[in-house]
Amino acid sequence: MKPASAPVRTGDDSGRASVAPESDEVLMARFCEGQALAFDALFQRHSRQVRGYLTRLTGSASTAEDLVQLTFMSLVRSRGRFLAGSRFKPWLYAIATNAARDFQRRGRRPEELTPEGELPTGVADEGPGPRDVGLERAVRQALDALPEGQRIPILLHRFEGMGFAEIADTLGLTESAVKVRAHRGYTRLRELLATLRTETLE
Amino acid sequence: MTPECSRVMDRLGEALPPDLAAHVANCQECQVVTGGFEFISGPSPAPTAPASASSDDEDDEDTLPGQFDARRFALETLAKQPKARPWWHGLVLLVGVHAATVGVGLMLLSRDFWVGNAAHSSIVVGVAILILALLGAGTYIALSPHRRVVPWVAVLATSGALGLTVVLTGSGQQGRAFLAGLVGCMGTELAVTVVPLAVTLVLLSRSAFHPVRALAAGLSAGAASLLVLHLHCPDGTASHLLWGHVVPWLGLGGIAVLLRSRMPTSSHAP
Repeated sequence: MKPASAPVRTGDDSGRASVAPESDEVLMARFCEGQALAFDALFQRHSRQVRGYLTRLTGSASTAEDLVQLTFMSLVRSRGRFLAGSRFKPWLYAIATNAARDFQRRGRRPEELTPEGELPTGVADEGPGPRDVGLERAVRQALDALPEGQRIPILLHRFEGMGFAEIADTLGLTESAVKVRAHRGYTRLRELLATLRTETLE
Repeated sequence: MTPECSRVMDRLGEALPPDLAAHVANCQECQVVTGGFEFISGPSPAPTAPASASSDDEDDEDTLPGQFDARRFALETLAKQPKARPWWHGLVLLVGVHAATVGVGLMLLSRDFWVGNAAHSSIVVGVAILILALLGAGTYIALSPHRRVVPWVAVLATSGALGLTVVLTGSGQQGRAFLAGLVGCMGTELAVTVVPLAVTLVLLSRSAFHPVRALAAGLSAGAASLLVLHLHCPDGTASHLLWGHVVPWLGLGGIAVLLRSRMPTSSHAP
């Protein structure tokens, strides 16, 4: 049910093909040893998902684009801080989450705000296929209404397909603390969505 | 949350085994949670990135948006430094700076005597060891890449306990006039801390901002000057130790948090 990691797109390059089947952790170890191709593979494998996560987290596709760059530049600069034996994906999402937090802490760019100086409530989505736009907007509004401590675990769990152990690793919390936050978040989401649905019907 | 509720959380979105399905049927909380999960099951797949025409490379269908810039940055970084420098290099550097600061500070201040503290030598040594332990632990907490962060209360309680120990273990010997002694020791503490605090802030900016880490780093940098004063200062009254040694030291921790929060972050890695 939950989305799996996208396969590495290797193209025709034999050098790229040689790193394709490796795990994220092996690729990261190779990158730490100085192999640029390993970085390419990691970028191709994760950048779309990280961009989706950051778009949901910040509410802005263009901001997410900038933050993806910052995330992978941080990965390059701080590759020595990746601990051998630890998992790559939680580390990458921890970087992305920190980048988004830093962006929000320092204030948004003026062009990201509405004329009233508020955060945009919806994100233009260019994905293919018909979708229930009203429901999407309601879900987004409900997610935005959650406190960050509940919203991030839900985004990581529901949309990024991460387990609670990985989320705990990402956020530097215990697994039980993450479960409690997600539990409260899903409960609150259901309440909010029921309210929004009632308002829509009225 | 019961253990069954926790197991339901682990299997959200999957087919539940009969025992968990039976639990959900009877547990109102689990029904609400699974309902909340299912509510957001359909919509909002990962949004696609906006079209970008920033580089020629992005015309390549195999290249993702932003990959050109990220790859160029990675190549430039690898050209400068092919192998990653382990995180503990920064730790060793900072501990070295702290040690050098203590050594130079004591040399500059001590013309006739190295230890001016008139308390019993075992007390002087014991408190010095405690300060050194906090200095090392604070530096480690500040720079370690481990994501599990020490809670605020632990850092505040530890530093408070050390401050109290410094005040309560003073010799009681009166030195200069209160105000003169206060100004002298506060000035010394600030002057001695400048270099370690600056190096600390530079190293902190190479990882994500976290207030507790910044506080631990600031207290650690300040501990170098606290140690110098502890060994050198002959004034052992409680009021002097509190206002001339401990309060400025705690203030340095706050200053570190403030300065770090305003500094740019070169990497958001934990």
